[in-house]
Amino acid sequence: MSPEEQARLTEAATEVVLQASREGRLTSRKDVLEALVADGYFHQAAGHVDTDNARQTPTEEEAAIALAGILAGHPGLASFEGLSGETVYHAPDLLSRTFARILDRKGSPLLLMAEEIRANSRDYPRPVPVELFEAPPFALAPEEIGHVLHAMAADPGYQDISFTTAPTGAVYLFSTLHLERGYAAFLALRAESLSENP
Amino acid sequence: MKPGKFPELIKLAASAAGMDATLSRRGFLMLSACAVSSLTALGLCEALGAGAPLVILDNARGMILADPSRCVGCQRCELACTEFNDGRAQPSLSRIKIGRAMNFGPEGPTGGPAMQGTWGNGLVVQSVCRQCPHPVLCATACPENAIQADPKTGARVVDARRCVGCRLCQRACPWDMITFDEDRQKASKCFLCNGKPKCVEACPSGALRFVPWRDITREGRAGGPVLSALPAAKARACVECHTPSRKKSSAR
Amino acid sequence: MAATTGGFAGKVLRVDLSTGKISTQDTREKYGDVLGGTGLGYQVLWEEVPPGTGPFDSANKLVFATGVLAGTGVPCNGRTAVTTIFPTCWPKPLVGSGHMGGNFAAKLKYAGYDALIVEGRADRPVWLFIRDARVELRDASHLWGSGIRRTNLEISQEMGADCSVAAIGQAGERLAPMAIVANSLSHSAGGVGGVMGSKNLKAVGVQGSGAVRIAGDKGEWEKLIKFHLSILGGNNQHVVPSFPTPQSEYYNPASRWVGEPGRRWGAAEPPVEITGNIFDLNRIAYRTNSAAFFLGEGAWKHTVRGNGCTACPIRCHTVIKVPSVAAKYGIHETAQNTCSGLNFGRAFFKALPGGFKGPTALEACMVGMHLADDLGLWCNYGQLQRDFLKLQREGLLKAKLGATEYASIAWDKFESGDPTFLFDILPRIGERRGELGQVLSQGTAGLFRHWSMQEDDWGRDHAARYWKMGHPKHHSSEDDGQCGVIINTQYNRDAQCHSHTNFVRNGLPLSVQKRLAAEIWGSPDAVDGAGDYTPMNLHKARRARWSLVRKELHDSLGLCNWMGPWVASPLKERGYRGDDSLESRFYSLATGRKLDREGLDRMGERIFTLHRALTMRDMGQLDMRAHHDLAPAWVFKDQNGAAPFTKGTIRMDRDDISRAMDLFYEVMGWDKATGAPTAEAYARLGLKEVGKAMHAQKLMPGDAA
Repeated sequence: MSPEEQARLTEAATEVVLQASREGRLTSRKDVLEALVADGYFHQAAGHVDTDNARQTPTEEEAAIALAGILAGHPGLASFEGLSGETVYHAPDLLSRTFARILDRKGSPLLLMAEEIRANSRDYPRPVPVELFEAPPFALAPEEIGHVLHAMAADPGYQDISFTTAPTGAVYLFSTLHLERGYAAFLALRAESLSENP
Repeated sequence: MKPGKFPELIKLAASAAGMDATLSRRGFLMLSACAVSSLTALGLCEALGAGAPLVILDNARGMILADPSRCVGCQRCELACTEFNDGRAQPSLSRIKIGRAMNFGPEGPTGGPAMQGTWGNGLVVQSVCRQCPHPVLCATACPENAIQADPKTGARVVDARRCVGCRLCQRACPWDMITFDEDRQKASKCFLCNGKPKCVEACPSGALRFVPWRDITREGRAGGPVLSALPAAKARACVECHTPSRKKSSAR
Repeated sequence: MAATTGGFAGKVLRVDLSTGKISTQDTREKYGDVLGGTGLGYQVLWEEVPPGTGPFDSANKLVFATGVLAGTGVPCNGRTAVTTIFPTCWPKPLVGSGHMGGNFAAKLKYAGYDALIVEGRADRPVWLFIRDARVELRDASHLWGSGIRRTNLEISQEMGADCSVAAIGQAGERLAPMAIVANSLSHSAGGVGGVMGSKNLKAVGVQGSGAVRIAGDKGEWEKLIKFHLSILGGNNQHVVPSFPTPQSEYYNPASRWVGEPGRRWGAAEPPVEITGNIFDLNRIAYRTNSAAFFLGEGAWKHTVRGNGCTACPIRCHTVIKVPSVAAKYGIHETAQNTCSGLNFGRAFFKALPGGFKGPTALEACMVGMHLADDLGLWCNYGQLQRDFLKLQREGLLKAKLGATEYASIAWDKFESGDPTFLFDILPRIGERRGELGQVLSQGTAGLFRHWSMQEDDWGRDHAARYWKMGHPKHHSSEDDGQCGVIINTQYNRDAQCHSHTNFVRNGLPLSVQKRLAAEIWGSPDAVDGAGDYTPMNLHKARRARWSLVRKELHDSLGLCNWMGPWVASPLKERGYRGDDSLESRFYSLATGRKLDREGLDRMGERIFTLHRALTMRDMGQLDMRAHHDLAPAWVFKDQNGAAPFTKGTIRMDRDDISRAMDLFYEVMGWDKATGAPTAEAYARLGLKEVGKAMHAQKLMPGDAA
């Protein structure tokens, strides 16, 4: 692929990722290729009349090979290995890393909740109210949340996920990998009392 | 004004509007805004000769729309209007008006269940310049022809160099949208910030929008007193079109 | 007003109610060194109100002061500080300020005044009419006895709909120390309403058609305002939303930035859906919904819109509409307020059907706002309700009140959580009826003064949240360890400082907060995680100093210390930095007098030090460390017996707090032994004359007592 071809492909592929990020979607390389095909990007190659254009447009196969390098090297894009095992791409300025991870895990409520609980316990640090997962972007039904919590309790991979109940009755979830039980209870009580501590 | 010139103009405007060319003066009054617009586009002023009174202005291209149900009463629009344009914070000089209906709504401190504003149902009704179509009352009232249509936006703007501070425009606006700068002794009004209204940009709740113009002068309540003191030259120009109807005179 | 001045309106209006004399002074000439607001108030009290003056003496003065940035388009201005000898201060009234937002400050500036000084006492009820240069005292006999709502309506009828009226209700008329003055429906300054009442001043109505000039380049001004808007978060400058959003890396379920696409102002007509990108500057007003934050998710459907002060895009007062209350309680179906004002009604109950975020609680809040904001009753930052519940719970009311009075109270409604209980209890307090009304309307001080309750008992009770001098804690160790404690020791009422708490509660991860802290205060150790406190260090003392200085600065510039400072932002591209020099940049452009951050902070420190001197002078006390800068016993005790500096306790260590005070006095340049400012400190801040006066009264370190 010539440098011009490379530049054009980079621009087109980046725009596909940006557009997906704008719309709140993650993108895999396959998605990018499909979008390029749908946009008629490769038609000129097959069009075989305009030789100038043809020379500047790689084949789908060439593009597929080049994409990984192009997307990985782009400073405005980020990627991670999604739950599907595929590398997924997003533009962090439009779709944050945090939000991207949430989107990726939406297919696995167990992992979705566990990783969010862990990240909160580790980074802020704080336990999170169980209602957090009922609201968007998690949008899990209360019954589903109940199932997930039961499943976690039985799964050795999630033994760090625990809960504390504030005196108001509110349930807060945390990870014992990052928060001591007593501290989690304190932080839950504090969070519950904020509306009386204006 | 030279006699005989007007019918030609009317014909010209009518044909530009796709209408019959045999229009009478009376018929001219029934022309659509489109025709009036065409008339000015064709250069009424030039046609009437230099220095002729300006009565008909081309319609504005844009206007500011205000949605009361989104207004949060912060007056940031009023402040953007005067700070960014005039270098001072002065709501009384603002060309968009929030403060006057903010407490009690447009009806004022009446009490009772129908009261709007902060002390009533919470609704804040904003006042914006409608960039009136013909007759543009503020412009017509001006003895100095100081209010003209901005060539770019069509906004009715006060030319401060011509304004003599007589305040007749202020008395003419039924919407009470003309402000008067006491410091400079000049009238002022919404000029759409030359096409990028500061107020719209400043609104933190998206309650203001800059949209293509349409005639909203028949919507909402015109509250201000209208003093119809037309400069003599302009009154004559008005009469060129606004002749007594035949029907009315025959009925007499 | 000279055409070249900017920021300042130019004049201070002085009204002597005893003589009817109305005069003005040049603001810059007389008060330029203290900016305005609390600074101006402290200076007036320092120069004109002799020690020992009681709050309701005619010699007391009441200073309504705005600031340089009030009335401009600077985001989050609109504040008026009302400074006076504060009536709820125990055991002896001392200087204090109530603060109100709304539209009063802007109108006063447009009328041409930076401040209004009220002195003397009228011989009959009057109200003050201010329309630009026209200032008159008008008869208020027809208003006396009316609530704040009617007073507003009738004065507005007399002046015109666009005036702003700061009025007292029945509580102020009856000289209740727990009375407010309020403007714009819900914007009140606590504790000062009775002082107005003692002067027979029912209200101040103000209309202004003038300008606040911006001395600097208007393009620069516009740019700076837009920059400030870009670094705003939600209420209290919480810079992350309470929910994950595509645009942000961080979120915090406890954030007051609760608005997001998908939510709606359900009681707007028609309802307003929040759409688009909540980070857009045209969406700032949708981020905050105080009703939803304080009263629960259910409040969204009752939300009409956000409201607030002139020029503030945050809109922390939420207008809510609850149609059921009209028929059920005979009150207006819409009401508005923020935090403590929203909480007012429900906080009188130990329990409510459906809980404290349920529909009955919402009705109790509506009734509470209706009554309190009309009677003009203050809650002393929730202490009134906590005291009431404590007295009732511990049987103290039964013990202290006569049997007849006690039995006349609708306890059945209190027990069942019936909001109509408020129609019984609040007018008793607001109108000072019976012994209960007489005592509770004095605040916690009334309990100590009349019922011989012991301040120490209040100070031991964690639940009472009492701090000292008749007032509660206001963001102390529960939020910010030693910083919170230091700040809470410094005032004669609750501290009302948010510089520190707005940072620790901003919602950013601790690691980011620490990175910012290192840049602003010199070390990541300047900030701890809540309830994970480390021993005192110099950087925390610096942060406490910075917080106090910025508080006074905001209070004197007309800015909102409930929103500022703005040293963190939602902007990832800025590394979540805010701007520590924002205030000085605005000040410089507005006034045309260039001052850098350090220069303006020095003015804030001057104002804070003047408050200190004034307090010492009126207390006649040199040893502030032992007699003023105190913390209650609960601060040093954990209810579960946890040791200080263990995770999950807010318990402080006495020796460590002693060291904290040492370090704080050190960074202030004050004497460590007494906590009194030194001659050098006064001199450095341009307060040499104040220092001399203190020395003359043996109130300078080294002076023999």
